[in-house]
Amino acid sequence: MVLLKNLRPPTEGVRHEQAETTAVMNGQKLGCGTLYVAETRLLWFDGSGMGFSLEYPTIGLHAISRDVSAYPQEHLYVMVNGKLTGENEADMTEKAADDEEDDSSNSSCGDDDDEEAITEIRFVPSDKVALESMFSAMCECQALHPDPEDDDSDNDFEGEEYDVEEAEAEHGHADIPSFYTCDEGLSALTQEGQATLERLEGMLAHSVAQQYHMAGVRTEEANAEFEDGMEVDASAMEAGQFEDADVEH
Amino acid sequence: MESEGTESPLSGLVPVAEVFNSIRERTIAENSMVVLLQGLQGEVTTVDLRNECTARGRVVNVDAFMNVRLKDVLYRDRRGKLTRLQDLFITGRNVRYVHIPDHMDIMKTIQSQLAKIHRVRNFASHGGGRKEYSKKK
Repeated sequence: MVLLKNLRPPTEGVRHEQAETTAVMNGQKLGCGTLYVAETRLLWFDGSGMGFSLEYPTIGLHAISRDVSAYPQEHLYVMVNGKLTGENEADMTEKAADDEEDDSSNSSCGDDDDEEAITEIRFVPSDKVALESMFSAMCECQALHPDPEDDDSDNDFEGEEYDVEEAEAEHGHADIPSFYTCDEGLSALTQEGQATLERLEGMLAHSVAQQYHMAGVRTEEANAEFEDGMEVDASAMEAGQFEDADVEH
Repeated sequence: MESEGTESPLSGLVPVAEVFNSIRERTIAENSMVVLLQGLQGEVTTVDLRNECTARGRVVNVDAFMNVRLKDVLYRDRRGKLTRLQDLFITGRNVRYVHIPDHMDIMKTIQSQLAKIHRVRNFASHGGGRKEYSKKK
């Protein structure tokens, strides 16, 4: 198996770096090195600069394995679609595409890549606690590389904020309710709306007075004067309660 | 989305790129059946992969690109060998089927997911929410 040589750490976008990590590819130990989880690609190489890199679109899944009965050490499992030739990533992705094309010409329903080769890679860090960070970093980076060939999702979003009001104006209907500011809202009320508003405000004022009796909590006294119910009833305190507070305690 | 916890662009200062990604994901999600999968959060289900593997576990998150994150997973490879995995992230492109648990009401799930999206979006438009990202009129 051919591996790349003279690999160097990525210069930017490194979400996680894990030293003392052994890489095992399809069961074969490649040695101990450093794993770089970068936004552009996944990179692993040993002290001599020999290793490999993975492009996120080729990664099918990744996982944390803590089941030592399945594999003797806790590790990060990565499944790559296609075979890693090691020459360069272009080779690998082309190979995967070729596999797909062969399959679709052979099988009756075109888009299943049934027998596509996969590569299983295990990253075994000496520090097992780091597995969660390694996993999370990969999740984040994977999410940065959505499938460009995905025809199903409606990707006509062009980078502008989706403005609800603009969309409503275009489509001419407002079945999605919007909120109004106070001034806008008042002027938009019909007579019926106005009456409803007055009734509701009356109910609200009335219910605040009952606030202190709610939920079975006994308090000093209910004071309907304070409409927002937020103020403390100062008269409940004993006179001179704080007179003996001595600043020099 | 990370994309976990995608619904907090309003609660603190967030880099603009993250907000747009979140907006973009919401737009994509509400126009596709992915909203149904997003409603599976917390449920235990089976995901069939395109390469004949299957994974059964609890759904942690599904993003707009159908990337599925599961935990406490029983993973079956193509040869039928079973492995337990603590956390698993499946790239959206690799998903063939996601099993919907029998007890789930599909219509209700879709409706409540869409309602969540609309609530978040409307809070950010005129009248509420932070002003940093509102358009000048």
